[in-house]
Formats: sequence, structure tokens, C-alpha cells
Amino acid sequence: MWTLSDEALLAGLGSGDPDASAAFVRRYQARVYGLTLSVLRDPTAAEDAAQETFVRAWRHADAFDPRRGNVVAWLLTIARNVSINMLPGRRPDPVDPEVLVTMFAESRSDGDDGQATPVSEALREALRELPEDQRRALVLSVFYGFSAREVSELDEVPLGTVKTRVRSALTKLRAQLGGVR
Amino acid sequence: MSDRMPCEQVREIAPEIALGVADGQERDGALRHLAGCAECRSVVAEYSAVADELLLLAPSHEPPPGFEARTLALLGEPKRAVRARSWWRPLSVAAAIVIAGLLAAGAVLHATAGDRRVADAYRAVLAEGNGSFFDVATIRGSSGDIGSVFGYQGSPSWVYATLRAPMPSERRFEVELVTSDGRTLSLGPAVMGGDVTGWGAVLPVDLASVSELHFLDANGKPVLTASFGETSPWEL
Repeated sequence: MWTLSDEALLAGLGSGDPDASAAFVRRYQARVYGLTLSVLRDPTAAEDAAQETFVRAWRHADAFDPRRGNVVAWLLTIARNVSINMLPGRRPDPVDPEVLVTMFAESRSDGDDGQATPVSEALREALRELPEDQRRALVLSVFYGFSAREVSELDEVPLGTVKTRVRSALTKLRAQLGGVR
Repeated sequence: MSDRMPCEQVREIAPEIALGVADGQERDGALRHLAGCAECRSVVAEYSAVADELLLLAPSHEPPPGFEARTLALLGEPKRAVRARSWWRPLSVAAAIVIAGLLAAGAVLHATAGDRRVADAYRAVLAEGNGSFFDVATIRGSSGDIGSVFGYQGSPSWVYATLRAPMPSERRFEVELVTSDGRTLSLGPAVMGGDVTGWGAVLPVDLASVSELHFLDANGKPVLTASFGETSPWEL
């Protein structure tokens, strides 16, 4: 069985090793597809986005810098960006962010060993406890790629207010994570 | 936006920088600031770590049957890298040197120089703009290869597109940059064709993180594409 580290598998993917590539896709396909489906909410588009994510990971494997994060975070960032670019009409009618938050609450964010991690549990709880306006601004930015200006126009609130909401939300979550790590 | 954006202003938009959703002008100013400010980089990195963790909250979901095989088949296609050297490759590098000389140093270099002179000139041009490497990507359209985009990693980093085959009349494009992590950034409008055979822009990101340039028509459809990574960049 493959027991290689994420970084070793990524290196194998980048070099075109077929076994490493298969193991890499197998290890992450549920996470990547889960994220693209969460954002796009369309199975066909989500599959396209997930495939594009792996193609980009393969093409740019040598650009991965372990000092700036782990492999799964890097891969999910690619998946998120690809999904945002595929949102129909660049999101004139985004899904209600509360739907996503509810989805997160109902599902367990599992670690690679199938167990929910303390960090993800703490973060999920902290996200639930945020004031709704902060949570909405944050989720629109993180999962739908809205700039503060776009959130401001969508919700018809001052730009400065949106910036404050996103910053406050991130600061609270960061503090919560700091207590868990 | 000048590169003298103060720390206070950068910290205000640090969350948007970390989330990759900052507007272009603000982003440019902030990135210039971050290049020389470790404290602000640290703030952005902390926000980025939270954003990374948030993405992990998305529930896992098994893709449809056959996903793995279909994806591996895509990965099995010829990788867009390290194309065999061809006769035009040295000319491309020499052309990049000429363009860089014109834009960065104001000097004209002769593409017919010998290897040593070319290397010396190359170093001199890089030194002029605090540069580290050049890269080149072929511009492809429906009629095939029609030109090249030369990229320069330095201060600032930039791209310059040249057309080999002239277009009969002027056309206006919106130019879109796709980064290696999938973000799409606007480089603004470009007019090429007729007597205009070149266009250039300063990059808001490192050249190394540029994956593709798309030249979009008035309907937003990409009509010309240039993919970096097909050749190894010339790096000193």
C-alpha cells in the first residue's frame, strides 16, 4: 500500500509517475470534488472543476512551497479558485452563504484518517458563533470570491462596513484557532 | 496606487489579500509593500492560514464513478513543458533580450551577437531591472501560432506580446492572467493589429506564478492564449 507523504506523492505527480499520480488523485478526489460541488452545486461543473484542479496541480507541482502551507491546503486553494472562475456569469446570484454553513455544520470535516480534526471542529464551532453579517461576508469572500466591494454592492452596505466584517470574522477565527493549535 | 502604501492601509486590506479577492489597484500597491515588509507579510500569512482551514470545512464527497480514470487520462496527455529546442528558440531569447533592453535599459542589443556576448548582455539587462529570469510563451489563436509573449521577472515584472503574423486591422482585447493556483486577474485592455504589433503590461504577481494569458474579445471569449511553462525559463 502507498504510505508516502503528501509531499512525496505531489512530487511523483509532478514528475509524471503513474502510480504516484493515481495515488494522489485517489487520496484527494473526495476532498477536491466536495469543495467544487459545495461552491458550484452542479455535479457536471464540479467534476470539470475537480479535474482542472488536478491538472493544475500536476502542471505546477514544482511551484508548491511547503513553507507556505500543506499540500491539501494548496490543492483546495486551487480547487476554490478554479470553481470561482467557473461560477455562472461570475456569481450574479450566489447561493445563500448560510446554506454552505449549514452544510458544514451537518457534515464532519474528516482528516485523512477519517477522523474530524480538533482544528476543524473548533473552526466550525467558531464560524457558527460569528454574527450572521460577519459570517455572510466571510463566506462570500472565501468560497465565492467576492471582493469587499462586491459584497458591499450585493448587500447594499457601506464598503467600510464589509471590510470591517471580514476582518473581524477572520480575527475571531484566528484567535479561536490559536487556542487549539 | 504608489508603492508607498503605508502599513496601516495594507493591514486594512490584508484580509482581502489573504483571501485573494482584493481589487486590482489596491492589490498592486499592497503586494509592492509586502515585498519589503516582513511584519505585514506575517499578518497576511496568519489570515491566509485561517482561509486555508476554512476550505477544509467543505464536506468530502466522492466524485462520480470513473472520475479517477478520466482525470488520470488528462494527466497522461503530453505535459506542456520542456518542448524540444527548435531553431527559433535562440532567436526568442535574443528577441527577449532586445525587448528587455529597449524597455528596461533603453539600450539596443544585436541579436546576432555570439553566445558570450549574448550572455553578458543578458546579465546586464537583468541587473538593470533587478531581474532574475526571462520566459517566453507562444500566442496561439484559431489560425495557429501568431506570436510570442515575453515575460520578465524583476522590479517590476512585466510581459510584452509581439505578433509575428500581422493582423490586418486593429482589435481591442481584454487581457486576463491566470495564475498557477487558478486565480484570474485582469491586465486591462490591449490593442493590437494594423500597425500595432506589440503590447505590454506590468504584472501584479511574480512571473513564476503566471500560468496563462488570455486575450478576450468583446464578448469575453478567449481568442488568443499564451501558456507559460512550455519552455524552461532562462534564469541566471
